[in-house]
Amino acid sequence: MIKRKKAQLKIQQMAFMLMAVTLFFVMVGMFILVFKFSGLKESATLIEEKNAMLLVTKLANSPEFSCGEAFGSNRINCIDSDKVMMLKGKIAKYSEFWGVAEIKIRKIYPNNENIICTPGNYGNCGIIEVLSKDVNKLPPASNFVSLCKKESYNDEFYDKCELARFMVSSEDKR
Amino acid sequence: MKNKIGQEEMVGFALIMIMVAVILLIFLSFSLKSSGKEIVESYEVESFIESLLQYTSDCEDNLEYLSIQKLIFDCNDDKICLDERNTCDVLNLTLKDIIKESWNVEGDTPIKGYEFKIIIEGEEMLLIKEGNITKSYKEAMQDFSRRGEDYELFFKTFY
Repeated sequence: MIKRKKAQLKIQQMAFMLMAVTLFFVMVGMFILVFKFSGLKESATLIEEKNAMLLVTKLANSPEFSCGEAFGSNRINCIDSDKVMMLKGKIAKYSEFWGVAEIKIRKIYPNNENIICTPGNYGNCGIIEVLSKDVNKLPPASNFVSLCKKESYNDEFYDKCELARFMVSSEDKR
Repeated sequence: MKNKIGQEEMVGFALIMIMVAVILLIFLSFSLKSSGKEIVESYEVESFIESLLQYTSDCEDNLEYLSIQKLIFDCNDDKICLDERNTCDVLNLTLKDIIKESWNVEGDTPIKGYEFKIIIEGEEMLLIKEGNITKSYKEAMQDFSRRGEDYELFFKTFY
C-alpha cells in the first residue's frame, strides 16, 4: 500500500515536471518566434539601407549625373553639376525613376555652408537638392564625388571640380 | 526526507531555467550587435581619394587651373604657379584643408584620426597626419604613373 502511494507520488511528480518543462520550452519557442519576426522588419530596413549604399555609387556614375567626357577623359565618381541643375528643374518626371526618397549633393570643399542651390545663386551655394519626397526617410547613404562644372574667367572657359558628398535616402517603411 | 528531495529537485529546475535564460540573453546580445552599420565604409575611403585627385586647385599654370593630380606632378618637378607660389606649398595647404573638412576629428566625432601619404618611386613626398591612431581603420590606395615614375597615394582613416 505504502509502495503504491510512493509510486503514485513519483508519477505525479514526473507529470508535473514534464508539464513544467513543456511549458518552459513553449515559452522559449514563442520568445524566439517573436524575436525572429521583429528581426524581419529590421532586416528589411537594413536591406533598404544597403540598397541605398549601392545605389549611391551606381547613381553617381549613371548618365543622368556623371560627367561623361565633358571634362576630358571619362572620370569615375564625377558629377556634372550643370547637368544636375537641369535635372533638378525636371525632377517631377524622374521622381519614381530611382526608387529613393531623397537625393542630395552637399559641397564639402570649398564649404558653402547650408545654402540651397537655385538657378539664381548657382555657383555660390552648398547643397543641391535634386529630389526630396514628402515621406519618412532613413539616414542617408553617402559617397564622395567630384562635382564639376564649366566656369568662365576672362572670357575663357575652364573646368572646375570641387569635392562633394552624394547622399541618397530611402523611404523608412517602419 | 521527502520534502528535502522535492526541494532539491526544485532548486535543480530553477538552476536549469537560469542557465537557459543566460544562454538566451547572450545569443540575443550577439544577434543585436551584428546588425550594425560600419562607421566608415571602404568605398567611402576609395571614392575620397579618387575625387580628391580631380579637385581643381587655385594654382594656375599657362594653360589651366591645376587639379590635385597635376599639382603632385608639378610639385615633383619643382614648378611654381603663375602667381609665383610654390606648387608644393599649394598642394600641402589644399590637401590639409580638404582632408580636414572631409574627415572631422575634432570634438566628439566617430572619426578618431587620419593619415595621408604620397609616395613617389618608393620615397615619401608628403605626409599629413591628424588625431589618434586606433586599431579600427579603413584604408585606400590609388596609384598612377607618369614618364615611368610610379606615384602612390595612401589614405587611412581611424575610428
